[in-house]
Amino acid sequence: MTATPAPGPTGVIHDIGYRHYDGPLLGRRQAFGALTGYSLRGVFGLGRPARAKIMPFMLAVIMLMPAALGIAIMALAKETFVGYTGYAVQMQVVLAIFVAAQSPYLVAPDLRFRVLPLYLSRPVTVRDYVGAKLAALITAMFLLLAIPLTVMYAGELLIDLPGAPRTSDYLASVTTALIHAVVLACIGLAIASFTPRRGLGVAAVIAFFLLTAATSTVVAAVLYELGSAGAGWALLINPFHMVDAVQVWLFGTPSSFADIPYPDGIGGPAAALGVIALIALSLAALTARYRKAASA
Amino acid sequence: MNSTIAGISYRAVIGRRRIWLLVLLPAALLGLAVLLRLVGSADERSAVVLMQTFAIGTMLPLVGLIVGTGVIGPEVDDGTIVHLLAKPISRPVIAQTKFLVAASLLAAFAAVPTFLASYLLVGTESGVATGFGLGALAGGIAYAAVFLLLGVLTKHAVAVGIVYALVWEGLVGSLVPGARQFSIQQWAKSIADQISTSAFLETDVALSFAVPALIVVTVGTVVWAGQRLRSFSLTGDE
Repeated sequence: MTATPAPGPTGVIHDIGYRHYDGPLLGRRQAFGALTGYSLRGVFGLGRPARAKIMPFMLAVIMLMPAALGIAIMALAKETFVGYTGYAVQMQVVLAIFVAAQSPYLVAPDLRFRVLPLYLSRPVTVRDYVGAKLAALITAMFLLLAIPLTVMYAGELLIDLPGAPRTSDYLASVTTALIHAVVLACIGLAIASFTPRRGLGVAAVIAFFLLTAATSTVVAAVLYELGSAGAGWALLINPFHMVDAVQVWLFGTPSSFADIPYPDGIGGPAAALGVIALIALSLAALTARYRKAASA
Repeated sequence: MNSTIAGISYRAVIGRRRIWLLVLLPAALLGLAVLLRLVGSADERSAVVLMQTFAIGTMLPLVGLIVGTGVIGPEVDDGTIVHLLAKPISRPVIAQTKFLVAASLLAAFAAVPTFLASYLLVGTESGVATGFGLGALAGGIAYAAVFLLLGVLTKHAVAVGIVYALVWEGLVGSLVPGARQFSIQQWAKSIADQISTSAFLETDVALSFAVPALIVVTVGTVVWAGQRLRSFSLTGDE
């Protein structure tokens, strides 16, 4: 290659007339808020194609059905039929499907297309990113569970049945809905974050919930048959029952599983510890996963 | 049947993280069977309960979902399916090959563990093990075909499949007796009931309906998947 003298200066950045941004830069907190809002909208399919809206809204409607049924029976037959405290356990399949179908959406595409470094080139840190995704899913799960409860409570107040309204039940169930939301979101996101493939993520999350539910049912039924005290403990293998046991312990509500009682005495605090351990484990897994993903 | 496609499909399912999920589910079933033996309730009744709620009710649809969508889903996701479709291989043959791969994996990861778990519990007593093993095999083949079709039809195949398996077969099936007629799980149970003489096993679907239904669904969905692949269009990811 012959050396030709470079004519004039090289490496000039030409101003080709793009408009500059002179406005304020909002910073980390706003970025966190924007990412949370965007993710929350995405969980319900808003801002995504119509096909993505079918599943979340269908499941949300299914979640509302027992509330509608409860209101109808209160209005027509003047008696309470659907309880507040057992709502989450009754609808656990729908909640599990929702968290399984939607949590991979939150994490898988960003991992798959390796856009995490783009987020991290902004003021957002890894912790902010994971926190925003978690906050979005927790909010979504809470809305999914709390809206039917609130609708039913509003219906109960409007119908004005004889006797006091079940306010304490309602408050207990909404508080527990928050615990349910945190537990489900943490588990779902932690499992989903381990695969960049959405389909496999959906299958893995639902497999976790189905496995724990089926294992707890079978083991509890067999132990109960034998008259063993372990039956109540076996129920707690299912995260939904674990949270329900915490509700029973905290608020003294009746158990949502009529056949086999939860372990009494130390059972309540143990269930609470189990819930905390489950959340901590999920958060640790998420942190470890994203520490690796961010450096890759 | 095309051996190259079969090889690619086997690798796609077994060679990645999917395999952990596929091993975990049968392992849980066998673990439960061992546990039941250890606590001394390895009788026919608990075997039937375990098989119905866990093997047929939980493991079979899940493994079917993972395998059935796994043989085609990742290729559609990545867009590499166009390389496969561009080859001079008949599209129905591609669908049939992928179905055979999925069916063989289901036999290995669902039907065999089902047989082993019930054999572990009751041996050959009243044909429970053989019944549920063959039931799981027949149901698994149908699941493989149905979920393969779903994988061709939609990108949200796994989510749609879960809704079918849990909401239709589970929730609706437990409330509306008529819905049980159109449930692969129930058909699998009918076959198990036919072979087993156990008194603890009751089914709602007659064998004269279940067997033709299984055959029609399996053949129909494989043919449909092949036809669908002939006019397959790859749409962009959202």
